[in-house]
Amino acid sequence: MRSQTRTALLFASPWFIGFSLFLAYPVVASLYYSMCDYSVLRPPVWVGMHNFRNLMKDEVFWISLKNTAIYAGMALPLGMATAIALALLLNTKVRGMTIYRTIFFLPSLVPTIPLAVLWLWVFNGEHGILNEVLRRVGLPAPNWLSDTAWSKPALALMALWGAGNAMVIYLAGLQDVPTEMYEAAELDGAGWWARTRNVTLPFLSPVILFNGIMGIIGTLQVFAEPYVMFPGGSPARSTYFYTMYLFDNAFIYHKMGYACAMGWIMFLIILVLTLVALRVSEKHVHYQGG
Amino acid sequence: MARSTDQRRQRHQWLVHLVLLVLSAAFLFPLVWLVSTALKPIEETMRQPPTIIPSSFQWHNFRDAFVYGSDKLGYIPFLVYGRNTLLLCILGVAGVVVSNSLVAYAFARLKWPGRDILFAATLATMMIPFPVLMVPIYGFWRSLGWIGTFKPLWVPAWFGNAFSIFLLRQFFRTIPFELSEAARIDGCSEWGIFRQVVLPLAKPALAVVALFHFMYTWRDFLGPLIYLMDQRTFTLSLGLQFYQSQHGGTQWHLLMAASTIVVAPVIVLFFFTQRQFIQGIAVTGIKG
Amino acid sequence: MGHNHGAMARSLLTPLAVVVLVLAAWYSEMVVRVPEPPGPVVVTYWEKWTSFEGDAMRAVVDAFNRKQNKVFVKLLTISGIENKTLMAVAGGNPPDVAGLYGPNVAQYADDRAVLPLDDFCAEYGISAAQYIPCYWDIGVYRGRVYSLPTTPASTALHYNRTMLREAGLDPDRPPRTIEELDAYADKIFQRGDRGRIVRAGFMPAEPGWWNWGWGCIFGGKLWDGKTKITANAPENVRAFEWIQSYSRKYGATDLQTFRSGFGNFSSPQNAFLSSQVAMELQGVWMHNFITMYAPGLDWGASPFPHPSDRPDLANSTFVDEDVLVIPRGARHPKEAFAFIAFVQSQEGMELLCMGQRKHSPLVKVSDRFWKTHPNPYVRLFADLAYSPNAIAPPKLPLWPEYGAELNNAFDQIALLKKSPKEALDAVQERMQPKLDDYIRVARLRGDEP
Repeated sequence: MRSQTRTALLFASPWFIGFSLFLAYPVVASLYYSMCDYSVLRPPVWVGMHNFRNLMKDEVFWISLKNTAIYAGMALPLGMATAIALALLLNTKVRGMTIYRTIFFLPSLVPTIPLAVLWLWVFNGEHGILNEVLRRVGLPAPNWLSDTAWSKPALALMALWGAGNAMVIYLAGLQDVPTEMYEAAELDGAGWWARTRNVTLPFLSPVILFNGIMGIIGTLQVFAEPYVMFPGGSPARSTYFYTMYLFDNAFIYHKMGYACAMGWIMFLIILVLTLVALRVSEKHVHYQGG
Repeated sequence: MARSTDQRRQRHQWLVHLVLLVLSAAFLFPLVWLVSTALKPIEETMRQPPTIIPSSFQWHNFRDAFVYGSDKLGYIPFLVYGRNTLLLCILGVAGVVVSNSLVAYAFARLKWPGRDILFAATLATMMIPFPVLMVPIYGFWRSLGWIGTFKPLWVPAWFGNAFSIFLLRQFFRTIPFELSEAARIDGCSEWGIFRQVVLPLAKPALAVVALFHFMYTWRDFLGPLIYLMDQRTFTLSLGLQFYQSQHGGTQWHLLMAASTIVVAPVIVLFFFTQRQFIQGIAVTGIKG
Repeated sequence: MGHNHGAMARSLLTPLAVVVLVLAAWYSEMVVRVPEPPGPVVVTYWEKWTSFEGDAMRAVVDAFNRKQNKVFVKLLTISGIENKTLMAVAGGNPPDVAGLYGPNVAQYADDRAVLPLDDFCAEYGISAAQYIPCYWDIGVYRGRVYSLPTTPASTALHYNRTMLREAGLDPDRPPRTIEELDAYADKIFQRGDRGRIVRAGFMPAEPGWWNWGWGCIFGGKLWDGKTKITANAPENVRAFEWIQSYSRKYGATDLQTFRSGFGNFSSPQNAFLSSQVAMELQGVWMHNFITMYAPGLDWGASPFPHPSDRPDLANSTFVDEDVLVIPRGARHPKEAFAFIAFVQSQEGMELLCMGQRKHSPLVKVSDRFWKTHPNPYVRLFADLAYSPNAIAPPKLPLWPEYGAELNNAFDQIALLKKSPKEALDAVQERMQPKLDDYIRVARLRGDEP
């Protein structure tokens, strides 16, 4: 047994180093910096809880948090529903599935910069393709990019194109659903929807939970697209998200301490949300074999 | 009875195809537009409203994107960027596969004190936002004098990461323990069991980890942005922004042509590996 | 046999992989290493410019490299230069010279990210008297020189003579006061079918680069230079009321829709170049874009109007410049300054400013420069730079944040979400504590006040 422990520690040793250097140390260090005035270039000056107190009073902090929450509230359910729907569609046995799967995964492979430019043109209020279509079918065509009420929904819609990543994981989860269950359900005369509801989704629920938590982490940290498309979170800070404010504080305003404090608050928020998600899901997630 | 089910199934198939085709059009749109802009003359790239099919196909845009800036720098940046990205991919992917398989083996198939606590901590770290870590890690590389080198971008891969450890651990646990026991009775060392019993069976999972890391490195923008200083060392994703300029005059057509070249290999890679990719994730059972 | 073969191949595979990896690691180190060639000292110089602006700087660098053989300047184009330079200084691996933006100087000097240049300037005989005052001043922070200019820019009202004529206005008599500007704007303004705006005389939000600064046009100050933020000074509120009057008379949503139809700044669909907006505040560079995208445009430039009750504010202009700095930790500061000094010489500066088609920041300008300069209004821009009402962004380390606040306030009042007073009070309330904090920490650090 002793020798196994030694062997095990040897096997795990890369992670001891990786964990302490790239996770434990920076986490502790950033907690320290969050209580300092620190610009990277000059030695940190201890200010205690000052950064956290200032954050509580900081209107922009709250705006960015609210924007992020609203965005996540739209993008997360929408994105999950889309990814699940796509995975269900792609799990049917029709020809050419390899090609379809690749196509749906494609947008998540395109680099951010060209993609963001494309969205600027798609969502353009005057000449955008989306509004062209909306006008044709007689729906209102809002100023997606310059109207404070529509800029966040525009971003949530854009995020749908990146559903490919989650879709792949759902697809993988669907491979595990035993075919006998389907056949049994079909013999019982259950239709497609009933089968999906009663067989597929319960089996998929652990994967849904996994993707849900990953989705919370991802949507709360939304950064690249709005940063490229909406400089400064325009119009009127309606697209100014948490990570953008954090980034601006760190690299534009040179307030690393303040940024670290924001990072820590985000960490706590994600932690709480994850625990809530785990608790809520307890009743709804079905693990195979208990 | 059987025939009508067949017919229904056929009709059903057509319906699925129709839906898939419509959705495909929507999902293909960014790529089509990317390629179409890559083929436009520069004046046309800024036209409002934009055209989908270029008025004339400028195939030389691809060549121009390749040599853009080479007259000023004395070398062809695009090939240099590609070489750098490949180097990082090779070093990183190898590191991820080697380190995570070792660590995951310790977590999945060996017993040692503190194992489960460390594993829980490992999972929890997946929730730490990157910006929290960014500043101290940067300081760490600086103290080693490694800013401006490739090392901050591939060395960490050799020390494991939470996501890959999680994935591989789940997979290693599905391999019957009796196999290990039998080998142990035959006098096989733990290293031997790892090499000869577990690793050969874990190929699909290792492929997934490798692929994920390959795609991550290929697309990574923030890492190269903060660690690389000299143009000679830039990667493809970082190099793309050179076609943009702040005072206007962005070379849209070249930017898109370059993006197309960057995306193409990854698309091909995914196309040929997607079955294994999906199967690989499936058997690892993220489901716990 | 085949089995044996496979086993042998497999046993060879691992060493082979190790060799490949070692080679890759070694190669990746070789790529990074920049060999120091024997001979001249190599000065690395990061600059943000591309296209013709970059070519102009390259010509200056080439001229310097040809002229002497002790220093060789290696010019690299870097995007996002201000962040990149900061990170390079923090990483201990900065270039020898960096081309930043003027408004960065205070922040970088305050962070000790750039070296003071006073001693070098004295050595090379470079002094304030040789420069147009406002352009020298941009590089000075707390009494020390931290940067020297590359190319400067001042702004003026650009107007479309054809559009003025079509509205029955005299194209040779551009508006001189804000009130005249408003009257002109109303005359030019046109709506098309369904009430959509098709043409505007003037829009404060276009091009939107000085949204923070309209208060200064009305005589406002943004801070007292020491400890007080003055965002909600009466002059600033008055300016914002003027801006909001445009949203009120033309409709905030209608203006928004109109604006969303404009193309990129650098394109023929630019609002001014495509004759959608007749009058715009623009800088000396605008001429380049006119020749590039709308060569037929009949245009003129004149000092931006002032409020009629404040004739003392005539010739207000926003001044800005690109600058050269030596980052802290640079390996060859002396050689770097030799290059900077060359750029500051009349020869180097005129080569650069002619190449970028701007005016020179130096007092002494050759006849040839004036005679051959393509911009017909270049003298106007140079003269405006001498104006006592030349406005530069405040030299406040907090400026990036303060500027973002003002831009946001501008958005809010232009969209009629807040009254000008409310919006500016909010900026004031937000920025004053930040300045107080900054001063407090500076004292803790022992910086001179």
